[in-house]
Amino acid sequence: MSSEPPFNLRTENVWFGYQPDECVLKDISLALPNGSFNMVMGASGSGKTTLLKVLGGFLPHQRGKIYLFGEETNHPLPGVLRARIGYIPQQLGLVRSLTVLDNVLMGALSRCRSFSTLLGFFPKKEIEHARMLLAQLGIAHKAGEKIIHLSGGERQRVAIGRTLMQKPSIILADEFVSDLDLKTASEILSLMQQIGRKDHVTFLMSMHELQLVKEFNGSVIVIKDGNISGACPSNQFDRAVLEELLR
Amino acid sequence: MKIPASGVVFILISAAFISVLAQFGFFMPEQFVKGSANLSRFLAEAFPPDFSALSKTGEALAETVKMAFAGTLLGFLIAFPIAIFSARNLFPPAVVYSARFTAALLRTVPPLLWAIIFVIIVGLGPLAGTFSIALYTVGYLSKLYGELFEGTDPEVLEAVKGVGATKPYLVRYAVIPEGANAILSQLLFMFEYNIRASSILGFVGAGGIGFQIYVYLQTMEYRNLTAVLILILGIVLFMDFLGGLLRRRFLLA
Repeated sequence: MSSEPPFNLRTENVWFGYQPDECVLKDISLALPNGSFNMVMGASGSGKTTLLKVLGGFLPHQRGKIYLFGEETNHPLPGVLRARIGYIPQQLGLVRSLTVLDNVLMGALSRCRSFSTLLGFFPKKEIEHARMLLAQLGIAHKAGEKIIHLSGGERQRVAIGRTLMQKPSIILADEFVSDLDLKTASEILSLMQQIGRKDHVTFLMSMHELQLVKEFNGSVIVIKDGNISGACPSNQFDRAVLEELLR
Repeated sequence: MKIPASGVVFILISAAFISVLAQFGFFMPEQFVKGSANLSRFLAEAFPPDFSALSKTGEALAETVKMAFAGTLLGFLIAFPIAIFSARNLFPPAVVYSARFTAALLRTVPPLLWAIIFVIIVGLGPLAGTFSIALYTVGYLSKLYGELFEGTDPEVLEAVKGVGATKPYLVRYAVIPEGANAILSQLLFMFEYNIRASSILGFVGAGGIGFQIYVYLQTMEYRNLTAVLILILGIVLFMDFLGGLLRRRFLLA
């Protein structure tokens, strides 16, 4: 008998609605192996963002079970688990009036809770780590600049930096490259995939561009009207498969 | 023909506006004719301004600015936590409504009445004025800031919560930086307002230039009064200039 691979994130028959008589997510069951690269596709309003928010513990599911790192979880997530899940919202959620370095350092807040951090002073090793991440992301020279002065691609890199600073085991990202041109979006996703492989991080990101999805080695989950209508490896995924799953 | 709801609202507001103006005599030209004669007599007595008394009033004017400065900052320090507690996106309803009630209570009492209360408590002088300015500031800033904090971009809050930040860090790293521009703008506006407001607190013995203004009014020394008002205008304009410099130096481009 083959042993089941360890899953960082697993759900069993999860249901969610913003109103009691509404079902935005219906009977969602999925299992994401550790270190896997997963992309969610579906039409606008199909429930992609809601799915990521429920899995990230921002919204409480009404029925079913969610297991994070093998443990069943409920809303709100305990701080220890929260810190292990990185979340990148669609508009990135960066604090525009703070610098790039400040935004990235925020990722360390779950492990640096002291009066000095509240005053804005982080430990030296965290600052060094943040600078190292910025260098990896190719924006070390922008460390002192405010977010409002950055381009779209640079902002995306800062959001990734903040999430990596958290040292998460799972990263949930909501169409966060949808505002970028294909070339930049592809660069950003390659970077994330590289980092994911190195640190064994599990990715789940909602995507819009079919061309981008096909470019990356991972699995694709298709969601329709709040329900998972199918999944397949990204190298076998094309428009025909998508249309078939959305039919 | 059916009038849309917005049209009904517009008609009702217009009707109320005209009726209130009529009630107060806005449409009685004879009143304005009589009033303009009084005004021209007053202006003749108020101009040119007499700056000779400024050496006497300079100290009182400086005290007015100091009262406004200390009162505004004291009020700001108290208003800030109340505003945080009154933001619905940060705290549960019981906390929010208690904070909002406190702010409303403080806002209900006008600064002059606060000044009378503090003259009774701490006696005549600028301390009473400073406290009255501070409490009035608390009432206003806590409301303005509370609404500002409540309007923080939910995605930013979600993202900062998402890194595992607890409430104090959420306030420090998301709510305050996101609202920094408006926090400073409203603080500077409040300071400017308080300079004007504190210039009448001396009417009830709460320090500053108010007592001098009261004396000039009673003795009909309108030229001296004009000189004081011009000086207050100068200070307010200077504050406006200083505020512009601060905004450019510290805030978003």
